[in-house]
Order: sequence, then C-alpha cells, then structure tokens
Amino acid sequence: MGKILCATRGGEESYCTQDEAIALAKEQGDDLIFLYVVDTHFLDKTAAPIMVDVEDELTKMGKFLLLMAVQRAAEQGVKAETICRKGHVRETIKQTAVEIGATLVILGRPCGEESKYDIADLLAFATVIEYDTGIEVKIV
Amino acid sequence: MLPGPFLPQLLSSSLSETDLLAFGSLTSEGSISPAAIIAAIIFILVFISISLRLLHETTAALLGAAVMLLVTYIAGTYYPDLRILNFEQAMLSVDWNVIFLIMGMMIFMAILSDTNVFKWLAYQIFRLGKGNTLLIVVMLITLTGFTSALLNNVTAILLIVPLTIQLSLVLGINPISVVIAEVLASNIGGAATLIGDPPSTIVGSHIGLSFSEYLVHMAPVAVVGMIALLLFNRLQYGKEYSNGKTTLSPVLVDSLAEESSIEDYVTLRKALLVGSLTLLLFFIAEIFSQMPPSVVALAGAAVLIAWVRPDLEHMVHEVDWTTLIFFIGLFVVVGGMEATGAIDWLAVRIQLLAGESLTLAVLLTTWGAGFASAIVDNIPFTVAALPIIDFLTIEIPGAAENGVLYWALILGADFGGNATYIGSAPNIVAVGLLAQAGYRVTFGRFLRDGLPVTVITLLIATMWLLLRY
Repeated sequence: MGKILCATRGGEESYCTQDEAIALAKEQGDDLIFLYVVDTHFLDKTAAPIMVDVEDELTKMGKFLLLMAVQRAAEQGVKAETICRKGHVRETIKQTAVEIGATLVILGRPCGEESKYDIADLLAFATVIEYDTGIEVKIV
Repeated sequence: MLPGPFLPQLLSSSLSETDLLAFGSLTSEGSISPAAIIAAIIFILVFISISLRLLHETTAALLGAAVMLLVTYIAGTYYPDLRILNFEQAMLSVDWNVIFLIMGMMIFMAILSDTNVFKWLAYQIFRLGKGNTLLIVVMLITLTGFTSALLNNVTAILLIVPLTIQLSLVLGINPISVVIAEVLASNIGGAATLIGDPPSTIVGSHIGLSFSEYLVHMAPVAVVGMIALLLFNRLQYGKEYSNGKTTLSPVLVDSLAEESSIEDYVTLRKALLVGSLTLLLFFIAEIFSQMPPSVVALAGAAVLIAWVRPDLEHMVHEVDWTTLIFFIGLFVVVGGMEATGAIDWLAVRIQLLAGESLTLAVLLTTWGAGFASAIVDNIPFTVAALPIIDFLTIEIPGAAENGVLYWALILGADFGGNATYIGSAPNIVAVGLLAQAGYRVTFGRFLRDGLPVTVITLLIATMWLLLRY
C-alpha cells in the first residue's frame, strides 16, 4: 500500500487536484495525506508593523483548509490525514515527502488567473523532487 | 475656519523671493545647489528602491539617511557646497510625535490582539448574519473599516482576513470579492482618524492637529467613502453573494467557532477599559496645554503594560522596531531634501502649475497624491510632499486660512493607495494572505476592484474639499 502526499492550499482551484488525489487513493487503496505549508515570506515585501503572530494565524487558516479537504475526501468515501508545516513551500513539500515515506506526490496544475504557479515552473519543481528524492511526482 | 495653532508656525509669515534664496535651494542665478542635487538623487534612489521592492523599506530609508550624513561629514569637510544636513539637523527633522504615537499604538495593539477579540467580533458577525451572505459581507467590511480607524491597518487586516477567507469558503463565495473590499475599507476607514493610517498621522502631527479636530474634518468624508464602497461591492458581487450556500457544514462552523473564542477575558476587560479612557483622552487632550497625541498613546500604553503585566521581553519583540526605524530614516532623508532646498525648488515649480488658484491647487494635490499613492508607497510620498504643501499653503491665497491642501494630501494619499495592490501596506499583506489560501490576485485583478473605488472616493473627497472649504 502506497502513501499519496497531496500538497494543497485550498481554494476552488485546488479542488480538482484534491479530487484527483482522492480518486487515486480510492482506486489504489493508498493512504492519502493532505499537506498545507505556512509560508510568511510575503511579509518581507513590506516594512508595515506586524504585531500579530502571523504564523499562528496562518496555521489556523491552514488547518481549516485541510479540514475542508478531509471533508471532501470523506464525502467520496476516503479517509485522509493532514499535515500542516511552516517554511518555504517547495523545500517543505520535498522534506515532508521524504519524512513520511510518500510513494507519490501530487501537485496541482495551474488553472485560471487565481492559481499560484505557472506550469513551466511547476514542471521544473516536479523534476527537482523526483531527482532529489526518487519519489514519483504527478501534476494533475 | 480652524484656530490659529492648527497651522505650522511657518504659515504665520509669508516667504519672499529673498527668503526662498536664503533656504539654500536656489542660487542667485536660480540654479539648484550641488548639495540639493545630491540630496535629490539619494531621495530618488531610496524612493525607487522602496517602490520597486529592490530593498526592504527600512534598509532603503536607513541607507539613504546614512549616505546623506556621510556626504555631509566627509565630502562636506573638503567641499562645503556638498553639506546636506548635519546630525543635529537630522534629529530635528524626525517627527518624534509620529514615532511615539505609532509606538504607543503598537503596544496597545499587541496586547489587544493577543485576546483574539477581533476574530471573536468577526465570528459574531457571521453568527448574527444567520446565513445571509450579503449582510455578513457588509458587516465584515464595515468592521474592518471601523477597526482600521482606531487601530493599525495592517494588524487589522492580519487579524480579520484569515477568518474572512474561511467564512467565505463556508458560505461558498469567492474570498477575493470580500477581502479586497475589506482592504479598501481599511484604507478608507484609516482616513477617519488621526491614528488610522500613517499619512493621517504624519500630516496631522506635522500641522499639530488634535484628535477631535482631525475627526471633525475627515470622519464625514470617510463615512461617505465607506458607504460608496459598500454600494459598489454590492453592485459588483451582489449576484455572487445571492448564490452563497444556505446549508453550512456544521463541522466547519464548529471549527470556526473554536478558533474565534476570546482567549483572555481578564486582559480584554483591562484593555477595553484603558482603551476607552485613552480614546477619551485623545478627544480632550487639547484642553491640557495642547497635549500631543503621542503623549496620550504612550500614557495609555504605559498604563496598560503596568496593569496587564505582560512578559516585557515578549512585549518588546512585538513592537515592530523595523517600522519605527523606517520612519526615522525616511524623515532624515526628506529632512536632507528640505535642508538643501531641493524641496523648495520642486515646490516653486509646482506652484507655477497651480498659479494662484486654490481650486486648482486642491485638485492637483488630491489627484496628484492619489495617483502617486497608487503606484508608490504612500508613506514616503506623504513625508516628501509635506514641505511642498507647506510652501503652497503659504504662497496660494486662501490656503493658509483653512489648511485645505493638507486635507487634500491626506485624502489623496489614503484613498489613492487603494487603486493598486502596491499602493499601501495592507493591500500587499491581504494579497499575500489570499495567496496562502490558493487565491492569486494579479495586478489587474486588484485594479478591477481597487481603481473604480479609488476614483469614486477621490471624487467624493474632491467634492468635500471644494464644498466644505
């Protein structure tokens, strides 16, 4: 039995990725783990006063988005687990995949203007994960 | 008409051409001095670095200030024409009222935000809305505007937006439609009070305004701006809101309720009591020998610290020194421009455009500040524009009587920051938070919501300025 790691941010654009991961887990009988990475580096762009524990706020939001993904899986008859981590998104995805012994990493294909990465960028990232860890990466 | 002490001291006299030459900007031949040219180049480099995010704002401002002082002391030793400003002048150019006011409010905000009260309020709105999406959105936007009028905008956004994203997902609507409206509300609401937005604080402090004086002049236009924003948002997204979910997931709602509970009732009670008294003191401060707002903010913060007894080391960490150093550096850089007369040189040329027409000067200031704040950070812009407004207020007949050009600068800088996502710090933060939830807001996407609201609110501001003054 394999382990599927699905990196997700939540949001409508992520639903198709989550559904694909859920369908694969169901079909192959694999464990499904959703990963959300808290990355606060966007705050480096401003010198505005930050008097809030931003990591804590984003962790709460991340856990909520993961809860939505778990609900989505449950509706389709799949029991999923979640991991919420802090750090650089790409490094953390790679690190987590190795740590949990993932057999497949699923990344979402960018679609629409609201998606986070462009496809060339994502393909390059997938190649890096495969090269560095030997874990298969699927872009859906 | 406003009372005499309202306007800066330099307004009590009018500058002659000889006075202008004495400022140092213009030589007798009408050319600009070498020190002024160097100061202007340093300022432009700082401005570009900040606007294009080539350097962190604080690094850019601090570096600019250091270079100005080094040029003065090293090059100025051999070539006196290159003296920009000395250390004493640099210290005098910092508006310490602004620094201490912001610091006091930061301490206040740090203690209050630990209680989770803002999330609790947002969740109560969701609960009271009973699934009526439009009503919930209107109340969330209003809450953000109101909070931003009393507290730091960025902090308000950091506390309210993550929960708004979650509420939007529960309600089945696109969070972008609500979050952008919230960030626009924070900039509009911030214009309502002296402590709401950095341009308001900077200008208000510069001309020695009391909290209540500021409120009387700016709150009405901010309220009308908020109403316009709500109407525009309804027009733009009303259909989407009406398609919101009617059956909400109990698991998700329970999760939200758990996240939004008050975390420290004792501290909250103390913070609310001290906060109310501080607000009262802000209103009546002028009775006590024109007590500056910074003294009120610092006194409130000190009393709160003494009463709540937070971990002081933690408290010191929560005060954002980076921002305070950014302001100090920026004041010094603009001080260098003033000391060498580079600002006066620019002001003379701007006055040529406006001539002696106050109406034209109001239009130029409001829309010029609005346009500039849409594309560059409105804080350095406001600090740099202030000496120019001082000059125009002296030179244009009628401007000194009511300080209308200062109000125009505040409204232009505050409202103009709404047009693009790089226009003000809360915009950048909100866009970053949305990206964390998987919603990418491009420059064009922000512009679609921000630009019309900016134009509408600037029109409202223009009408207010022309009719009221």
